[in-house]
Order: sequence, then C-alpha cells, then structure tokens
Amino acid sequence: MATRKESSSSPSAPMASTGGTLDSPVKQIQIEGLVVLKIIKHYQEEGQGSEVVQGVLLGLVVEDRLEITNCFPFPQHTEDDADFDEVQYQMEMMRSLRHVNIDHLHVGWYQSTFYGSFVSRALLDSQFSYQHAIEESVVLIYDPIKTAQGSLSLKAYRLTPKLMEICKEKDFTPEGLKKASVGFENMFEEVPIVIKNSHLISVLLWDLEDKSTVSDKHELLNLSSSNHLEKSLQLLMDRVDDLNQDIVKYNTYSRNLSKQQQQKHQYLQRRQQENVQRQSRGEPPLPEEDLTKLFKPPLPPPRMDTLLIAGQVNNYCQNVKEFTSQNLGKLFMAEALQGHN
Amino acid sequence: MSRFFATGSDSESEESSSGDEITSKAPGTNFKQSLLLSDDEEDTKRVVRSAKDKRFEELTNLIKTIRNAMKIRDMSKCLEEFEQLCRAFLKSKNIVDKEGVPQFYIRLLADLEDYLNQLWEDKEGKKKMNKNNAKALSTLRQKIRKYNRDFETEIAAYKENPQESADEEEEKEQEDSGSSSESEDDGGEEVSAKSFLKKKPEGPSEASKFLKGAKGSGDESSSSDDDDDDDEDWGGDTEESGSESSDDEEGKSKSLATAFLKKAGTDKGSIKKVEKKKKQKKERAGELQEGEGDDEDGPWEKVKGGVPLVKEKPKMFAKGTEINIPVVVKKLNEILQARGKKGTDRAAQIELLHALAIIAGENNLGQGILVKIKFNIIASLYDYNPNLAAFMKADMWKKCLDCIDELLDILFENNNIFIGENIAEDSENLNISDQPFRVRGCVLTLVERMDEEFTKIMQNTDPHSQEYVDNLKDEGRVCGIIDRLLSYLENKGSTEEICRVYLRRIMHTYYKFDYKAHRRSLGLQGETKSEQDQEESEGEDSAVIMDRLCKFIYAKDRTDRIRTCAILCHIYHHALHSRWYQARDLMLMSHLQDNIQHADPPVQILYNRTMVQLGICAFRQGMIKDAHNALLDIQSSGRAKELLGQGLLMRNMQERNAEQEKIEKRRQVPFHMHINLELLECVYLVSAMLLEIPYMAAHEFDARRRMISKQFHHQLRVGERQPLLGPPESMREHVVAASKAMKMGDWRTCHSFIINEKMNSKVWDLFPETQRVREMLVRKIQEESLRTYLFTYSSVYDSISMQTLSEMFELEIPTVHSIISKMIINEELMASLDQPTQTVVMHRTEPTSLQNMALQLAEKLGSLVENNERIFDLKQGVYGGYFNRDQKGGYQQKQPYQRDQKGGYQQKQGGYQRGGYRNQNQSNY
Repeated sequence: MATRKESSSSPSAPMASTGGTLDSPVKQIQIEGLVVLKIIKHYQEEGQGSEVVQGVLLGLVVEDRLEITNCFPFPQHTEDDADFDEVQYQMEMMRSLRHVNIDHLHVGWYQSTFYGSFVSRALLDSQFSYQHAIEESVVLIYDPIKTAQGSLSLKAYRLTPKLMEICKEKDFTPEGLKKASVGFENMFEEVPIVIKNSHLISVLLWDLEDKSTVSDKHELLNLSSSNHLEKSLQLLMDRVDDLNQDIVKYNTYSRNLSKQQQQKHQYLQRRQQENVQRQSRGEPPLPEEDLTKLFKPPLPPPRMDTLLIAGQVNNYCQNVKEFTSQNLGKLFMAEALQGHN
Repeated sequence: MSRFFATGSDSESEESSSGDEITSKAPGTNFKQSLLLSDDEEDTKRVVRSAKDKRFEELTNLIKTIRNAMKIRDMSKCLEEFEQLCRAFLKSKNIVDKEGVPQFYIRLLADLEDYLNQLWEDKEGKKKMNKNNAKALSTLRQKIRKYNRDFETEIAAYKENPQESADEEEEKEQEDSGSSSESEDDGGEEVSAKSFLKKKPEGPSEASKFLKGAKGSGDESSSSDDDDDDDEDWGGDTEESGSESSDDEEGKSKSLATAFLKKAGTDKGSIKKVEKKKKQKKERAGELQEGEGDDEDGPWEKVKGGVPLVKEKPKMFAKGTEINIPVVVKKLNEILQARGKKGTDRAAQIELLHALAIIAGENNLGQGILVKIKFNIIASLYDYNPNLAAFMKADMWKKCLDCIDELLDILFENNNIFIGENIAEDSENLNISDQPFRVRGCVLTLVERMDEEFTKIMQNTDPHSQEYVDNLKDEGRVCGIIDRLLSYLENKGSTEEICRVYLRRIMHTYYKFDYKAHRRSLGLQGETKSEQDQEESEGEDSAVIMDRLCKFIYAKDRTDRIRTCAILCHIYHHALHSRWYQARDLMLMSHLQDNIQHADPPVQILYNRTMVQLGICAFRQGMIKDAHNALLDIQSSGRAKELLGQGLLMRNMQERNAEQEKIEKRRQVPFHMHINLELLECVYLVSAMLLEIPYMAAHEFDARRRMISKQFHHQLRVGERQPLLGPPESMREHVVAASKAMKMGDWRTCHSFIINEKMNSKVWDLFPETQRVREMLVRKIQEESLRTYLFTYSSVYDSISMQTLSEMFELEIPTVHSIISKMIINEELMASLDQPTQTVVMHRTEPTSLQNMALQLAEKLGSLVENNERIFDLKQGVYGGYFNRDQKGGYQQKQPYQRDQKGGYQQKQGGYQRGGYRNQNQSNY
C-alpha cells in the first residue's frame, strides 16, 4: 500500500501545471500521508458498494499552499438518528482535537465516489457553502475502485470564482450562465496534490519496500477490465439519458419562447397599426399595456443541473479514456511479450 | 254554444253547464239510444266520407276546444288552439273555396272577438289574470282583429242574424253529410227522426232533421264492411260534430250538455271508442236479435263512468247466432283492432282470443280459422310486454310455447294449409272446401321471436339461481320447436326461410360440446353409460348436423349476415371439438377478419367468441403461437368481458347513458353460453409466457426490444412490485412465478407452478382432454426452458454436451438436437454442432455485454446530438438546417452496422409481430 501511495504522488504532481494557474488563494495542496490513510481506512470500514463516505479535513494555509494535516470522518447517517446534529458534532470533534493539540482549522471536506460519479448538486451546494465560509476550503474526492485497481485516485477540487458568483446570485437561467460564461469545463478547478510524509516515515517506507515481495505489484498489469468499463458505460448512459431529457426540456422552452416572441411581435405590430389609424382619425392612441402581463414568458428551465450532468459526463469520459489508454498500453505490452516468446 | 255569450258572465255559464250535467243523464241516454237504434241500418248504407268532412271535423274539434278554453278563461290555451285552427283552416282551403266559408267557423270568429273585447274591457278581471293569460289575451285580441278583417262581411251577416246563419249552416251541414247519397237518406229519415222525436219531443224539428242527416251519413259509411274501422271512426265523429251543431241550434235545449258529456266521454280515452266499436260490431254480428234491454245497458255504462268494457265477462256472440267463418273473422278483426292501442288490456285480449279459438274449435269451422286465430294469439302474447327490454313472464312463456306447439301440430296434421306472409288478407281462404287453406302469417317469424324471447328470459335471470336452471330446461323445448319447424319448412318453405330456420338451429347447436360424439371418438362407448345416454347418443353427431346445415346456408343463402353467422358458428363448433385445421382453414377462407368491423355488434360478438374459441383450440393442439395471435386482440384490450358480450364493464358507466346501457345489455350472451374468462386469460398468459420468455432471453441487450405481449409484461411488472413474495395464489400469480422460473431455465419449478392442484381445478380441468393438454404443456415448458437456458447461458459455455442438456430438461436427444439445430439455423444461437461428440460448440460471436452497452450508448448519443442540433436549428433559424441535414445523415448511415448484427433474429422472429410493428421498427433505422 505504502509504496503505491508513494508512487502515485508523482502522477498527481504534473496536474499542478494544468490547474492551479488561476488567481485562487490555493495553488497547491499538501496532504499528510496520515490523512490519505485515514480516508482510505474510513471507506474500507464504512463504505460499501455505491455508498459514499464523507469527512472533514483539517489543516492550515501556508502562503498559497493548503496543508491538510488531519481529518475526521462523519458518521454514517441512518434512519434512526434523524435528529443528529452534524454541526454540533463537527464543533465538538474539533474542540476535542484542539485539546490534544492537533490542527483544528477547518479547511474542507472529503468524499468517496463510486466510479467517479461525484459531480452532483449536493456536492456543489456543500462546497459552495464551505468555500463561502472558508475561502481556501477544498473537497477531496477519493475513488476507492480505481485505487483498488492499482493507482491511488485522490483529487482536490474547488469551485471556480465564476461559479461562486453564480451560486451566490442563484441565477441559473440560461442567460445568467451565458453571461458568466460558465461551461461544464470551468465549473471546478482541480488543485494539484502533493502527498508529503515526514522523513522518518519515508525512511520506514524505503525499508519496507526492500522487504516486500514482487507479487504485491502485479495487480497493476491486470487485463480484465471489462467489468469496470461496463459499469462506467452504464453510468455514462444514464447521464446521457438525463442530459437528453434536459435538452428536450430546453428545446421546448426555447420553442415556446420564440413562439411567444412572435406573438408579442404580432401584437405590437397590430397595436402600432391601430395607433396609426387612430392618429389619422384624430383619436388619442391606445394606452400602453403591460406586455409582460399579457405575455408571461415561459419559465426558463434551470440550467445548473444540465451543467452538472455535462460535467459528470465529462468526468466519466475522462475516466474511461484514462482507463482505456492504460489498458491499451498493457495490451500492447502483453502482445510484445507474447511475440517475444 | 253561443248561448254562453248570451248569458254574459262565464261563471254563470259554468254553473249552468254543471247543472246540466246532473240533469242530463236521461236525455243523454235517449240521445245515445237513438243513435244506437239507427245502427240497424248501418249495415246497408255506408259510404266513405269525403275529405271535406274530415277537414270540417278537424275544425269543429278545434273550435270545441277553444270554446272550452274560453269557458275557463284560459287565454294561453285559447291562443294556442286558435293558431292551430288558423292553420287547419288554411289546410282546408281548397275545400273552403269550393264550399264557401263554413258557418261554424264564422260563428266562432265572431264569438271569440266579442268575448275578447268583453274581457278586455273588464279591467278588474284583467288584473286578476296571471301574466301568461294576460299576455295571451292581448296577442289573441290583436290576432283575431287582424284575422277577422278577411271575414268582415260574413261576420257582419252573422251578427245581424245569428239564428238564421246558424240554421243555414245547419242545412248546409245536412246537405254536406247527405250529399253523397241523398236518396238513401230518405229511407232512414223517418226511423231515426221518429226515434229521436220519441225521446225528445221538445227538440226542434230542425235538430232532428240534422241529427238524422248526420246519422244517415254514418249509416251510409257503414255500408261497406271492409273498411269498418275507418268508417266507424267517421261515423262516431260525425255524430259528435252533428250533435254539437245541433246543440247550437237548439240554443237552450238541455241536450247540449248531454252531447257534451258524451263527447267528453269519447274524448277521454280511446277505450270507449273501442268499446263502442266492439259493441256496435257485436250488435251487427248479433243481427238484431239482441234484446233491447241489453242494448240499453251497454251505453249506460259507457256514459256513466268509462268503465273499461274488458272487465266485463267477454261475451262473444249472442245466443243463437249462427257462428260461421265470416262472423268469427269479423270478431277476430274486432279484437285485433284494439291491439297496440293505449289502454287496451292485453291480458284480456289474449283471453278473448283464446275464447274465440275455443268457439271456433267447437263449431268445427275448420283448421284454417284455427290457424289464423293461433297466429294472432301468439302475436298478442309477444305484444304483452309494452317495451322491448322486458321479458316474458314464466306463465306467458309457457303459454307461448304451448301455442306454438299446437300450431305446429295443426300444420303437421293438415297438409293443405298454406301460410305465408305475402298472402293478402282478402285472398285468404279459410273456408272448408276442396281448395287448400290459405292463411296469412309466418310461423318462422313467430318461432324466431320465440327464440329471442327465450334469450331475453335467460339474460334476465340470475345465472346462479335455481330459476336459471329451470328456465334452461325449456331450451330443449325451444330446440324441439325449432327442429319441428325445420322439418316443416324443409318440405314447404322457401330457401330463404330454410336458411333462417337453419341458422336458428345452428345457433342452438354451435356452442354445445358434443359429449356423445366425443366419447364415441374415444371409444368409450358402453362403458359407463346409462340407458338414457344410449338413447341420446342415437341422434346424429352435432358435427354432422352443423356441417349439413352450414353447407346448405353457404350454398343457398343470399343475405350476407346469415352466412357470416353460419360460418362463425361452424368455426366455433369445429374449434370447440378440437378440429383445429378445419376451423382455421374456414376462418382463413372466409376472410372475415378483413371486414368484420363492418358487421353489426351481435355478429362482432359472435366473431370475438369464435376467435377466442379458436385460440383456445389452438392452445389445446399445442399451437402456441396461433393461440397467442388469436387471443391477442381480445386480451390486449383488457375488455374481454365486454367484447365477448359477457358483461358490462363498470368503468364505462359514466361514458354511456342509460339508453346505451340498455342496448348493450340486450346484446349480452346468456350465461350458459359464456366462455370462461379465467381460462381464457390463463391460456393467453401461458402462451405469452412460452413465447415471451425465450424471446426476452434472446434479446436481453437489445435496446429496441419490443414486447410480444403487453399484458404479460404488465403482469410481470405487477409481480415484481410485490414487496413480499408469498406462494402464488391466483392464476396470474402462478403464471408470473412460472415465468420467473423459466427465465432461469428451471423447467421443473415452472412446471410445478403451471400444473398443480390449484391450476388444475381453476383452469386445466375445464378442457375436455385434460390429460393430453397437460402433457402438451409440460413438453412445451421443457422445450422453451431449454431455449431460454441456451440463450441466457450460452455465453458462459464454450461447448455443451447434448447429453447433458437432454438430462437437464428430460427431453430425448433427438428433440434437443432438433431444437438446437433450429436455433442455429435461425441464427439465434451462434454455435455449431459437433456430431461425433454430440456437443454444441459456441462460436462466441455474440457481442459481449460491453459491446452491447457501447452500441446502446452510441445510439443514445446519436439522439442526444440530434436534440442538440434541434436547439441549434432554433437558434440559427433556417440556415442551421443545411448543415444539420448532412450531419444527421451521417448518423443514420452509421446505424446499419447495428442492424447487421441484430437484424438476424429480428427478421426471423418476425412471425410474432404483425405488419404494423415491423414497419415501425424498420423506419427507426
């Protein structure tokens, strides 16, 4: 485990160059190995199947770097304790941690995901409230399935300032989104992660690596991947269906709108003609009526969900792409090996 | 009538009239009697009345009503009647032109105007009037003023000398009535005048003269016997009008009230007229011999209270009357006259006819007359119920059956009776002579009606009561009658009649399962049979009968409906007796499916019944697909009950009104002909299961998979929705549970769900050949389970031994071999058979689930893009379309590769789907 983690910290590093260029207060995230282990442990113990586990991240901000030094999990919700007060629990937990001299600054939260499906309204809302209250806060997404396949998947996301604006104004109409020029690509920004361990731990790991057998590693070369792909496709298909529905909805909306525009236009023209006639007869023109009352514009469908779905679809696609490219590589390698033999 | 105005006030006149009523009885009787006495001459002198009389009578009637209305100051009524009068007057214009304006008309106009003016001036009275009346008064006043302008001179003349003009009119009337045969008048004159004078000495001679004239006209009209009903009416009416005008002329004579009274009596109901007519006829029949006292009593009662005569003991013929055929016929006609009229006591009429029949029988008047009377008795039995919906009472029904039986007895005994609908009344020959009897009437119609009545009785009896069973016992008699009629008509009837009676016979045969023939075919004869059975089995097989009758109809019938019904019944009968191929061929040859929707509802119901029976037959024979197809239309609508005419659906209650409901109720099939709906549904669901489950397994990943049976899927879904799955209870649950087992290829569980005690008692035992059907079912389940298993799990196997499969599904190896071969040929299973090792080697060319998924995704993305483009279209207006079309084309072109892979099965499976479906499918690509 430990070795894998070490190795995975390197692929996550290059991502820093893609994200993080924005003028956000956090440009890099440094995570203690302890936090990663704790998150993994939390999922392994409590989450199963498509269930999601969540928890609070604690740490501190150093210049433009967010250091996450500790975390604690949220208990799973059950039907029985509906009156469970999350805030109360958080506060108490942090207070207790402070008593034992652990970093107690709230810097975000983490969540596990099932096949990369995390872009949802709930995530958006809670991340918005976090970021609203604590500017630096991030959400860590942990993908246990991918991790199980051999590469630790841990990603940090923040809402882009644009999206923050929109969320603040709660303006999810097509026009609002258009004005803010928010697309599914720039809803979230990914912040590069660096996993950092103390030197002592590193030494221990080196030591352990020597002792570990090779057998631990060959999972990486596993070729049976159709199950994972199938699942992803299934999810992707569901999203596409949703997207389809939303588009149809939007389609009807815009058709209605244009129809009404036409009606309005006709009405105005008629009114104008009438006025001209009246003028020629020397009568006073008809009073202006409130057009909005006459033509109530159809309610525009909220586009936020569509955006989120699109983001999710994008996410899946990335996943699949990543996964397949990895697998292709493996296949080519296997072929080469076969040929060699 | 004008005297009312002479007296001035209305109330006074009313008083006087009411006073008159009390005192008027005696003169009334006298008056009446005089009329009756004059009846003596009626037989000799009668003439059809002219149109003029008819018109004038109409007018006088109206005038009378107006005068009544005037009396009670009912202005609105007055106005209404006046308008009618004007119209009637216009109608009789040409007569008026010829004859001049009748005096009574002028008189009314003058009187009415006077009266109105008087009312108008009476301010007090006007105030008291209600709104409607006041309004009517003013309208009427204006109207009459305008109207009277045309008759100014006449009215003026009348006003000058009311009496004279009245006289004139009187004379004219007299002339009118007598004009047709003045000379004959003289003969009767003295008698009637004398009689009148005798009773009413103070009456002016003019009155008597007039009266006599009127009477005379009545007498004249009575001279022709054939038209007596018309003449009777005319006679009566002229009396009335005559008496009225005579009253006017008499002025203060008391007989006015009498006349009124009598008039009212006759107006009150047609009963009286009928009675009178009867009475008169009776008298005529009785030929003068009737006692004077008798004669007087009759009218007495009539005048007094309008007691219906029928209550009296029907007195047919006077003592000593020579009873011969014409007399009886006359009597018969007389009774029949009352038929269909309001207020006629139908039960009494039937009694009368029976009595007449007995008299005819006693006097040996010959069979002809008896047959004629019988016809009429049966007809009046049918008439007994006033509306179509009501059904016959049990005793009536029995009587009816007896009557028809008797009638048929007579017909069989006497070969020389010709009956027919088209024999005219006057060309009948009822006399006993060398010539054969000719009687008008149609036995066939009567029997058909009887059959309908029987159906009605069955429809209206609670099917779960003992009464129903009792009623059903009559079916034998009905059939017997039809059989007798059939043999009678085979000798005498025309082809059409034979066709009709054949159809009746068929209708009573087609739905009955011929157990005797069935047993005989099984070779069980003589094993456990009572003597009665032996007797019964001596008859012809119903199949032979059906064949003979239907073939006759096919060859001879010219009305489409009878042939259609016969074909359907024939098919039904075939299907019922498991002669599937005959039934199917007949159905296909008849091409009924194409045009049945143009038929009337009862035929459509019969068609539906036939289709259902055909489906069940196919199922028994193991033709699952055919069974499913035949039942699909009926079952898929969910209205099987309604379509088969076995009950009304509750949910339609709001949609139809009471009238429609009645009509629908009349279409219902009697309970003993019902097709078990649960059996029907079970057969349908099981056939759907046997088709659908393998199909579902074969097309698990097909995005565009369609359903073979919506209803079956619905049941499956209902089953899935259950939160807790207990052991199946109802038939449907059993089928659902069995389907689930079959989906897994577990034929044993499936079998145990389909065939068990519960299902046996509910469904399978209802088939005549239970055991055979069950065996067939087990085999089908095994086969289809095998197919399902191969579809579902073929991807798991590299190869599978047929030996194993054969053991798993308890099928012989050749069967397994043939099933697998079929699947391979149909490209349902991508595999090949390895002969030496007897194994099936899978090719694994099926797309994997991942590939399937990818295909689905591609499809979805295609539609997504399309939708997106539509938005784009909207934004871009017309210009966008250009670019889009290309793009869309691209997508559409990309699709076919999918079809290459999947199309294979879809085309092979095409057998299930009907044309519409497939077209739709293909247009999607």
